[in-house]
Amino acid sequence: MFHVRHATLLLNNRLTRAYASAPELRWPGWAVVIGIETHVQIKSRHKLFSNGTHPSAQLDDSTSVLAPFDLALPGALPVLNRVCVQLGIRAAIALRANCQRWSSFDRKHYFYPDLPAGFQITQHYRKSLIQHPFAKGGSLAIWPDKVIRIEQIQLEQDTAKTTHLPRETLVDYGRAGVGLLEIVSRPDMRSPEEATAYVKTLQHVLRSIGVSDGNMEDGSLRCDVNVSVNRPGEQFGTRCEIKNLNSLKNMTLALSTASDSSQIDCEIKRHVDLLERGESVVQETRGFNEDTVETFTLRRKEDAPDYRYMPDPNIPPLIITESDVRAVREAMPQVPEEIRERLVEQGLPDRDINVLLSIDSGATVGFDGHVSDGAVTYFTEVSKGRSPRVVLNWIVHELLGQLVFHKLSFAENPLSATQLGELIDLVTAETITTRAGKDVLRQIIRSRTELRVKDIVREMGLLLDTSSLEEYCAAAIAALPSEADAVRGGNPKPLNKLIGYVMRQSKGAMRPDKTSECLQKLLSSG
Amino acid sequence: MRSLLRENVRLLEKAKTARFFGTLTSSRHGSVNNSEINAFVSVNDNLANSARGRRVAIKDNICTKDFLTTCSSSILRTFDPGYDATLASLLKSRGWNIIGKTNCDEFGMGSLNVYSSHGPVINPWNPSERRSAGGSSGGSAAAVAAGLCEAAIGTDTGGSTRLPAAYCGIIGFKPSHGLISRWGVVSYADSLDCVGIFGKDAEIVSEVFEVLNVHDPQDPTSANSQVRERMQSQFVASKVSNMSEKSFWSTVRVGIPLEYFPHELDPSLLKSYKNVLRLLLQRGAQLVPISLPNTKYALSAYYALSSAEASSNMARYNGKLHGKLYPLLRYQIRILRVAVGEPASESSTRHRTPIDQYAANRTAGFGPEVQRRVLLGTYTLTADAFDNYFLQAMRVRSLVQQDFSSVFKMADLRESSEDNIGDSGVDFILHLSAIRSAPQLSETGQPGSEIDSYVQDVMTVPASLAGLPAASIPSGLADDDWPVGVSIVGQWGSDHLLLKACKELTALLSVASNK
Repeated sequence: MFHVRHATLLLNNRLTRAYASAPELRWPGWAVVIGIETHVQIKSRHKLFSNGTHPSAQLDDSTSVLAPFDLALPGALPVLNRVCVQLGIRAAIALRANCQRWSSFDRKHYFYPDLPAGFQITQHYRKSLIQHPFAKGGSLAIWPDKVIRIEQIQLEQDTAKTTHLPRETLVDYGRAGVGLLEIVSRPDMRSPEEATAYVKTLQHVLRSIGVSDGNMEDGSLRCDVNVSVNRPGEQFGTRCEIKNLNSLKNMTLALSTASDSSQIDCEIKRHVDLLERGESVVQETRGFNEDTVETFTLRRKEDAPDYRYMPDPNIPPLIITESDVRAVREAMPQVPEEIRERLVEQGLPDRDINVLLSIDSGATVGFDGHVSDGAVTYFTEVSKGRSPRVVLNWIVHELLGQLVFHKLSFAENPLSATQLGELIDLVTAETITTRAGKDVLRQIIRSRTELRVKDIVREMGLLLDTSSLEEYCAAAIAALPSEADAVRGGNPKPLNKLIGYVMRQSKGAMRPDKTSECLQKLLSSG
Repeated sequence: MRSLLRENVRLLEKAKTARFFGTLTSSRHGSVNNSEINAFVSVNDNLANSARGRRVAIKDNICTKDFLTTCSSSILRTFDPGYDATLASLLKSRGWNIIGKTNCDEFGMGSLNVYSSHGPVINPWNPSERRSAGGSSGGSAAAVAAGLCEAAIGTDTGGSTRLPAAYCGIIGFKPSHGLISRWGVVSYADSLDCVGIFGKDAEIVSEVFEVLNVHDPQDPTSANSQVRERMQSQFVASKVSNMSEKSFWSTVRVGIPLEYFPHELDPSLLKSYKNVLRLLLQRGAQLVPISLPNTKYALSAYYALSSAEASSNMARYNGKLHGKLYPLLRYQIRILRVAVGEPASESSTRHRTPIDQYAANRTAGFGPEVQRRVLLGTYTLTADAFDNYFLQAMRVRSLVQQDFSSVFKMADLRESSEDNIGDSGVDFILHLSAIRSAPQLSETGQPGSEIDSYVQDVMTVPASLAGLPAASIPSGLADDDWPVGVSIVGQWGSDHLLLKACKELTALLSVASNK
């Protein structure tokens, strides 16, 4: 049971975990409450409501990134991209949220150059119209004993990307209309470390099921963080929202003091300082300045814009049936938690599982839910009909080391699953030695050969051959007569020299134990 | 070679801007040309005078590859969409010549075709009286009425096809919402916007409808093929299509709605209406008095909803970004430079953020009626007003829909259930298309005339709110010798039946008037 709960604990969260469970010294006497709204770009080749292409999709000359609808050209109409819906359902399944049978789309209005239509299509929850996001409820376990509840997940359009220069602004319309998932957490986090762990775990889950690249650096994952502080046991304090934190580093910086001694006035500290001075926190939306590492007022609550939400008159309601959800579930990759569960059941060592899973968390996500075959898939394929423990050992302890040595990512791994399988079979059948197997693995990664392992082994002369073993042994005895005599005389020590000679001459193709047997046989008979 | 190219460019330019001076072939009051009625805003002279193919005109709020699409708005005076609306490509593929673009109220907002950057359309019935052609598709109606083309395409959001058809004395048909693709039709209020068809006779209207009545995957509100098949099979099952005039009318039950005689109605139009009823009775049709009690709220609900959607759809026109966006698409560039303006501290009093510039451009670029509706719609959608205005109007809309569904014999084909109310229901409803004959253009500038022009739509908006098919058919003349139209409204999906009734009714009326 521990293992199952343990499932969501990722390697990189372990350190922060220890920190978080330590007594809170940074703001003694205060409790922190954090909730996060995450916007993730859905990695569909096409946009949410058009066949315009995702800016990072490879283009041939005939396709444009831009479609009339995403530029709000008069006369253009939206057509919902079902792939985005399916990827949304994947996320809902992974986050244990309930897909709503009926949901709808709304227009959120404001004027800005990043919004060509003057409105963004979103799924705004509104009681009086009985509108819903497409998924509600849910949870994400960030640590064995910490689960963050999910409020809702909705589909919406991304805006164009603006880059501000001194006298002008660049607006990149390539991003306009890309599908976004807005994932809203409940205010369940109690420290900046929990917030960071939440985002990292979310990233990992979304990547591994092929929903999003989830990179804060390129903006495919963005966070708005709500923060408040209160005295333990009392009601939650007034919250402030920090907009668009775009890196985990900024997130921790904005939420806590920096690890250095530098006196950085960050959000929690700001609240604590205000409250300790007897002042009150004003509910407002704040931005984050990366240069000064400070948050600053964007707008107060009373200046909150009226977005004039309106049901979109063109897009029909989104109907998600149970069989739709079932179909998505059957076709989707396993979520990390389930994979770990499966691996743990196979009796594999925890540490190696962690390594295997952490490889995939950095894997690149394909378009339209095609998850490139990562380490787990590779492992599953190689271990078909083979001992999972042996396979995992080869991957974690040999293959990864060689990839790192050659500065290759797992996706660039030249050793095919078939090759590794054959290699392991040869070693298991004692056709080649373990050492020879390792040499072959190195050789394949170095030369990127696609030859069958058997042929490589033959080419390298590593095949174990009993007849040649006797020749090698006879040659060793002839080459080292004094050591041979000593062994004959009852001293076993020089035998190792003889074995070493055979190993060198055979380039490791001979097994040491067999060589020893053979030498002893020759020496005793001769 | 180069001169040939230059010549082509010149011709193309001409095609986009030339005024149409073609002479009318049929008019009650002698021949007039386009310069007298201002129906066309751009014309392709070659096609207009071509002997081959039939001529169709398209309202200037529908995108066309070969003409600018201004929507009669100065904010779009140079808008070249670069593509054909689905309906335009369908017409071309069936050999129709698109001869030009027709004048309309700005973005389709108006009932008299006076809110146009191209000036008002003059009703061709008798241009010397300078009466309105009706709106917003006034140019399309006038072009057909003047004989400049056999058919014309308009739009109908709250009556914009039926009203000008009635004022100009021709047939105007608004099909069920969702049958004709709106891809390429510039949105005014999407949930109400329909493509409308004008024709010189019922056969042509039917023919154009059949060309355009196809599913379009590019329009999310386009009825799917199953619904269309149900429509077709139900019409075939009714065996109406080949019925003789006599047996057709004897099967038909016509609803006479009590609520369609508002006090604003000009009594002289009733003569024409009663005449139609008398003829129908003679032919054996059953006339059934019916009540649609929520009709009295329909006009207010219509203006609340259409203005709200208009304010949303007009948000894209900021006079700054819009002109730059299309080239992005054409040249596959993604990034646009937008000036953020001068710092506020400069000596100039202008504080020109992008938003300030939008405000200035929208104030200059939109005409008075669009501005009025954008403001009304913006207010309707504010958090404070939303429940009382927008949601209330949505409720009225569904009550109006229920009213209609409770009187029709046929079930709404959009609903999956097939429970017809049976023989006690009516096949269609008959009422006057307008409260009066075409008003004089000089009347429209009077104080309070904006409100009056909203009243023009009181007869037509209920069918729009319910998305029902409706047609206006010329039914005679009012006391002032100007055309009167009657409207027939059917259940959603009964378009074929409605067009059959259209054909029979025009035949009936022309026989009667020739007697």
